[in-house]
Amino acid sequence: MNRTIVISQILVIEQAPGWLVAALNHAIIAGVLLIGGAITMMLQVWVERRLIARMQDRLGPNRVGPEGILQSIADGIKMFTKEDIIPRAADRWVHLLAPIVALAPIAMMLAVLPWGRGLVAVDLEVGVLYIAAVSSISGVGLMMAGWGSRNTFALLGAMRSIAQLIAYEIPLIIALLGIVLLTGGMSLARMPELQAGIPLFGSSIPGAPDLGLGWFIFTPVGLLGGIIFFICALAEGERTPFDIPEADSEIVAGYMTEYSGMKFAVFYIAQYLLNFALAVLSAVVFLGGWQGPGVAWLADAGLGAAASLLSLLWLLLKAWGLFMLMVVIRAAVPRLRVDQLMSFAWKYLLPLALVNVASAALWVGLTEWSSIEWGNLLPVDGLAPWQRIGVAALVTAVINLGATRWVLRINRAPAAAPVVVPA
Amino acid sequence: MSAHESQLLQVNIGPQHPSTHGVFRMEVTLDGETVVALRPVFGYLHRNHEQLAEASSYIQTMPYTDRLDYFNSMTSNYGYALAVERLAGIEVPQRASYIRALMSELTRILNHATAIGFMINDMGAWHTALQFGMREREKILDLFEMASGARMMCNYFRFGGVVRDLPPEFLPYFDQLMRGLPAFFDEFEQLLRDNEIIVARSSGIGILPRDVAAGYSVTGPVLRGSGVPYDIRRAEPYGIYGELAFDIPVGSVGDVYDRTLVRFAEMRQSYRILQQIRERLPDTGGGHINPALANFGKQKALRPPAGEAYARVESPKGELGFYLVSDGSTQPYRYKVRAPSFINLTPLGAMCRGHLLADVVVILGSIDIVMGEVDR
Repeated sequence: MNRTIVISQILVIEQAPGWLVAALNHAIIAGVLLIGGAITMMLQVWVERRLIARMQDRLGPNRVGPEGILQSIADGIKMFTKEDIIPRAADRWVHLLAPIVALAPIAMMLAVLPWGRGLVAVDLEVGVLYIAAVSSISGVGLMMAGWGSRNTFALLGAMRSIAQLIAYEIPLIIALLGIVLLTGGMSLARMPELQAGIPLFGSSIPGAPDLGLGWFIFTPVGLLGGIIFFICALAEGERTPFDIPEADSEIVAGYMTEYSGMKFAVFYIAQYLLNFALAVLSAVVFLGGWQGPGVAWLADAGLGAAASLLSLLWLLLKAWGLFMLMVVIRAAVPRLRVDQLMSFAWKYLLPLALVNVASAALWVGLTEWSSIEWGNLLPVDGLAPWQRIGVAALVTAVINLGATRWVLRINRAPAAAPVVVPA
Repeated sequence: MSAHESQLLQVNIGPQHPSTHGVFRMEVTLDGETVVALRPVFGYLHRNHEQLAEASSYIQTMPYTDRLDYFNSMTSNYGYALAVERLAGIEVPQRASYIRALMSELTRILNHATAIGFMINDMGAWHTALQFGMREREKILDLFEMASGARMMCNYFRFGGVVRDLPPEFLPYFDQLMRGLPAFFDEFEQLLRDNEIIVARSSGIGILPRDVAAGYSVTGPVLRGSGVPYDIRRAEPYGIYGELAFDIPVGSVGDVYDRTLVRFAEMRQSYRILQQIRERLPDTGGGHINPALANFGKQKALRPPAGEAYARVESPKGELGFYLVSDGSTQPYRYKVRAPSFINLTPLGAMCRGHLLADVVVILGSIDIVMGEVDR
């Protein structure tokens, strides 16, 4: 099955040489993704400002265009016309390249994400690995910005962001690993396809309708993994409560301190696009991606294009929902301190993520293996697939719940003695 | 130091910085993110307040006191009026005293609500807590506007009373505000008091032991947060405060969290005081100003007998004192302000040492300073 839309078929340029068709294909897809990304970013800024304003008893931007929706365009024009200031002591080339190095990998992430049923630009077999690898490059750009600016605040921000990215990337990737075990592959495009059917049991019950709700979040492994992944996504995307690299009340703007005009805007775009890409990734891996009620029904009825459109809508709905959750969190809570941030990653998230991988392995063992090793201990061989899923869900739920409670308890035990002040 | 040589980093936080609450600079020496030394530097907003007052007649200084602590102009007015009244031996009618106390306690509520909001802001919350405080502040400012004509620079007090009586629409609006306040306190406390991140960010941070606090002559919520039940309204009652029932909340450890809790509790105590004032206000007599000074020309021509006077009030930020020396002319010979923000700022270096850079701004926020008062 060819999952990509082949633009050349639409354009009917059969006589063209193969390389030209391929080049055109990629150029068009890249153009669509980048323009879509830019529009998404503008909408994100508007949504964020309006939503936070709502929470704060204000109105937010409401002057430019209907309901202020064009505010980002006005801001963009302002950014273009601002002076581009390079500090005299800065390393000119590093200072110039940093925003580009920060943005490019994020644009590259958009390529492998499955946007809908049959809508994926590049179907990589190692999509998960690619995402993990490419998203880390962005950190280099932040370090370049901090180091090249020759500013103490920028340097502190860069150091913080590197420490944070490294700390949170580990549980993030391990959380993804659990799902990789479940699906038996690293292809992001395949993940939504495996999340069809009904909650928890997927398509394992014969005769059950395909509601497109077999999302991994409904399994114990996916639930814990999804929560860990989302928390790490907040940290990767530098959202409150993990926005310490650019903590405005402490270190002004972190690594962005010495940037103005369009370079600043590029950092800004990179950050919002990363947030959106991570929201889409969360949706794809844990929330069924483009799966949703109606998609399978439309596809079965022979309305492939309509099914693709509906699936795209489902994905965008989930991604925007997650993004709005990030916004609400930003408006609601203060920021953690550096040491608290680190201990949260290493003491809470990492052990839980590791336990989750073990649970995922157990799940796979219980549902897929029919070896004799289980024989005397657990007679899973005689069970139907959906019954085996039920057993696996029960076992992994107990393990994950127990592990969560344990991690919370040992980490939140009160300090040895309370502080006593003489009266 | 081991084989690894590490370098200390000098960072200037301010004078242009998002969370120094004005033009204030902190010279911070950092080892990684840990504060080794901190030196507060101020004076950027010095505007000759005391010298100006010595070159003006007594009443001309009244509007200048608004600009000291521009959040709480009413209490600044009160302190100055009290000092001049002591110097010149002016009687204040009962009703005027009640109105003064009413304004002072409203000021305390608005200051604490926004101070907590600003501190949470320094912790990195995106203005939400601040906006909740600001919402109540706006209502109180509406009341100030009704009474004095200005929202922030009220210039409402006169020697011997206040400039005009409460307008008829004041009390209905005030009652409406009072009905809403308990719900606001509950909501504000519920949202902030047990928030896990706020507790983690503020408990054990910036501890100021009670003897150290007393040694630095810190006052106000910072001192009470350290466990010293010292409040000018109780220690040296002025106006009608001797007749009012209220408690002095104190903290136990003296950290940022305690100061915040003290502010929460003080808002409720101010509410209690306001209730008592509201009950008795209709029965008070004597008018809003001493009839001998009701004419503005009389205020302008005030010639206190030669001598000196010191008066202090419990401003929301601490002990606000005014010292005046008169040589019998229409201008004070010497005028000195004891500004609580300035004095409370002095132990900042001691409080921040050993904490992380992120804690510095939170500790600064918990002291609750206004640069207009620090640099006069």
